[in-house]
Amino acid sequence: MIDQLFGFLSYYVPEIISIILMTTLLVAEAAVKDDQAPRLKIHIFTQIVLGVVLMTLFMNLDEKPLHIFHNAVTIDPFSTLVKIIMTLGTMGAIFLSHSSKDIYPNLKSEFSLMAVGVLIGGMLLASANNMLTLYLGIETLSILSYVLSSLKRDDSTSTEAGMKYALYGGLSAGIALFGMSHLYGVFGSIQFVDMITRVQGLQGLNLAIVMISFVMFFVGIGYKISLFPFHMWTPDVYQGSPIPVTSFFAIVPKMAGLAALVRVSFVFFSEGSALSVSWIGLVLVIAAMTMTVGNVTAIGQTSVKRLLAFSSIGHVGMMILGVVVMNEAGVQAILFYGLVYLFMTLIAFYVTSHLSDMYGTDSYDVFRGLIYKHPVMAIIMASVLFSLAGMPPFSGFIAKFNIFSVVIQKKHYGIALVAAINSVIGLYYYMKLAKTMIFSKPQGDELVLGFSGLNQTVIILLFIPVLFLGVFWDSAMSLAGNASIFIK
Amino acid sequence: MNGILNWILWLPIIGMLGVILTPKDQTKTIRLVTLVTTTATLLLSVLLYLNFDTTTADMQFVVKVPWIEQFHINYFLGIDGITMLMTFLNALLFFICTLSSWTIEKNVKAYFSLLLMLQSTVFGVFFALDFFLFYVYWEVMLLPMFFLIGIWGGENREYAAIKFFLYTFFGSIFMLVGIIALYYASGKGIDSFSILAHQGGKFTELTVSVFGKTFSFEHMFFWFMFLGFAIKVPVFPFHTWLPHAHVQAPTAVSVILAGVLLKMGTYGFLRIAFPIFPQAAVDSADIIAVLGLISVIYGAFCAMAQDDVKKLVAYSSVSHMGFVMLGLAAMTTQGMNGAVLQMFNHGTSTAMMFLLIGILYERSHHRWIVKPDGSKGYGGLSTKLPKYTTVFIIGMFASLGLPGLSGFISEALIFLGIYQRFTTITVIAVIGLLIGAAYLLWMFKRMFFGEVNPETEDYDDMNAREVFYMLPLCVAVIVFGIYPSPLLDVMKVSVGQLVDLLAKF
Repeated sequence: MIDQLFGFLSYYVPEIISIILMTTLLVAEAAVKDDQAPRLKIHIFTQIVLGVVLMTLFMNLDEKPLHIFHNAVTIDPFSTLVKIIMTLGTMGAIFLSHSSKDIYPNLKSEFSLMAVGVLIGGMLLASANNMLTLYLGIETLSILSYVLSSLKRDDSTSTEAGMKYALYGGLSAGIALFGMSHLYGVFGSIQFVDMITRVQGLQGLNLAIVMISFVMFFVGIGYKISLFPFHMWTPDVYQGSPIPVTSFFAIVPKMAGLAALVRVSFVFFSEGSALSVSWIGLVLVIAAMTMTVGNVTAIGQTSVKRLLAFSSIGHVGMMILGVVVMNEAGVQAILFYGLVYLFMTLIAFYVTSHLSDMYGTDSYDVFRGLIYKHPVMAIIMASVLFSLAGMPPFSGFIAKFNIFSVVIQKKHYGIALVAAINSVIGLYYYMKLAKTMIFSKPQGDELVLGFSGLNQTVIILLFIPVLFLGVFWDSAMSLAGNASIFIK
Repeated sequence: MNGILNWILWLPIIGMLGVILTPKDQTKTIRLVTLVTTTATLLLSVLLYLNFDTTTADMQFVVKVPWIEQFHINYFLGIDGITMLMTFLNALLFFICTLSSWTIEKNVKAYFSLLLMLQSTVFGVFFALDFFLFYVYWEVMLLPMFFLIGIWGGENREYAAIKFFLYTFFGSIFMLVGIIALYYASGKGIDSFSILAHQGGKFTELTVSVFGKTFSFEHMFFWFMFLGFAIKVPVFPFHTWLPHAHVQAPTAVSVILAGVLLKMGTYGFLRIAFPIFPQAAVDSADIIAVLGLISVIYGAFCAMAQDDVKKLVAYSSVSHMGFVMLGLAAMTTQGMNGAVLQMFNHGTSTAMMFLLIGILYERSHHRWIVKPDGSKGYGGLSTKLPKYTTVFIIGMFASLGLPGLSGFISEALIFLGIYQRFTTITVIAVIGLLIGAAYLLWMFKRMFFGEVNPETEDYDDMNAREVFYMLPLCVAVIVFGIYPSPLLDVMKVSVGQLVDLLAKF
């Protein structure tokens, strides 16, 4: 028994290291004497440990699927790849937090601490194999997120963001839990492995209750990944939160929520299951609405943070189309999209953060004439915007191509047309920002301080995959493909 | 000779890297690097022409390398008679545009690197025989165009650049849906992204269901592709981006836009929409003919109403591309040959017009035939600028289709071809020629004859560089007007194959 438990723990190394890192950060912050010290050593230490986490995750990538801790947790390539994306996102956000003015010096290691905490919640969610672990994951993720969004304590928009996030989040988590309790009532178990065997034999009233309960569960997940109509909090929270937090929110909780949605969809609603058609219909309509609302609302935004918030809603709407098709290719497309989206989002937020630190606002105006001051940064940012819009030769196009491909393979032509129109709308607002950077004259000729040598190098390094995966996407696709094989 | 297409395709990119590595202030070196690159591409395309086998309709100089194994996407290049002409036109026009852009002083480095990138992507569109590769080039081509119009354009350049970009992107996203649908319809086999493998009407039996309604696969995706290509041509009612883009674009970009980019649209019909969906193409010939006719007449009337000479030529492009659409809709040997020939001839003649307007603009800094306040913009130019006037007359008459110059042959062929099928439309379309003659001659009268406008007193005539780069075009319109065989011989087998295919449906 004990041996078995320790045997399981060897698969759980990434999570354990993260937990140790989190507690270490808690102690380390207390040991800092000078309140305004830059905490460089803590930052470097965090990055190194997260690098180790990443390494252990890569070592787990080839493991066959395995249920551990009495079926509470699954370790499979799918969850491992999602964890890799989330860890990279966390590292990126922590790196940004270190140079950002939005995070005060005395809060820098607290940011790392809480980001790692959210990461742990995300990892739990990504490999959850029963309802309780899943709920635990959601809550761990959420509670620390509420604190993160109000990290800029003296700023009223930031506290407002935290408040809104917490209120909406609490409500939706409650609804999700309510749904889960009904599921337990019907199935008599919270284990996915037990529930999946019983879902086939459901009839009559039980079937209706299960569907309603899953819709309630969908509310909880939909809120985390900001699907329409649970997206209302996103723009305010994104705008109010400090930019490193926003960049973090755009990646980690979203990927975790998507992973949970994918797993639940595949466990309970794979083709042939009694509720499959209703579930696919629900996700299909929600996906179409999410994309359209996200993209159309993004057009009128004047704050770049809000723009990126709405565009992220649009992207999630696109990504969950991979759930609709209910096959490995769909999951592969989601994973590839997530990987590409990670790099694009990080670059977009890095550039926005450095500019907004310089000018104290994140309106379009701070981007004016960037090409004349920092040509390389402007070209990279413009490329990322075109990539987000899905233009070749950037990887955003391949991500979009894969989603279109799986949707059309299943002959969902209608939704393919909706997605097509949406990507034209997307192009329009991304292009408006690209235009401001490149066609307008700069306001002054002073250089942007945030674009130090190190920061520029990191942005360029992050840009390499955006370009590379747009041309040579074979290997990344097979990585995502291997990760999706065992999803059932 | 097998790798020659690779060289033509990537040489501009190598040149672009050369430009990027040159320091910013060495503008002379940058221009020379660009000139050497475009000259080399031109020579290579001449070499390509000399080695081209005109007796076969098969693809020649084929390069095929696996790219993405999982989807069977290949790096697959090759040319036939139609693309041979377009390759030569593209190489020639970029060579000329490099010379005509010699006077650009704003961000020289960025300008020439974007120009070279544009050249490479246009070659890519014409060479690509893999759908995915084609689509990538088709889209990437928008990026340099967007920046070339948006940075070096006129006053309203941002609006024009965005409009151009959005319109084309809108069309091409539908094309993307069509491409993926074709991939799955053909069973995602080894050739499922090859344009050639889909040709020949293999999808006539399939149906699709959208929002609960059933449509014919062939017809639905023909119209998807149609949208993508028609916006590019542009066919009425999708032409509204063109005048803005042309008026705002710098001279060289206008030349490229009218000279080769519009041809990509009609090339799409010839290579993709017609051969892959022949049944739908035959069924839709009436609609295409009517749209082409409206483009001819409406474009010509719009041109007549313009006070801005560049806008006038832009609308004349709409009108002339309408003739190409008419030729395509005819689906007869003469009509199709005429259409392809018109693609080439319009490329040379309209390039002359835009270059000449550019030359004049460098002296006057405006393009008004009649200024907004009612006074004359030019007047009596013929007395002051004899060389300029001579070249202008050649360009203008080539454009309006005077017998003996290139435009006549292609338009005559188109009319011959379409008369067999659409008699009424032919008769109405001839009126379009008449209006074309009217607006061009009226413009000529107002600009070149009459009292000498005092503002034009100090204009210099064309200098040696300008004469040098106008010369090849003058030769082309005259020689191919009298002796079009070199062009017709190259394309007739390829065009014949398409006509034979369409005749079966």
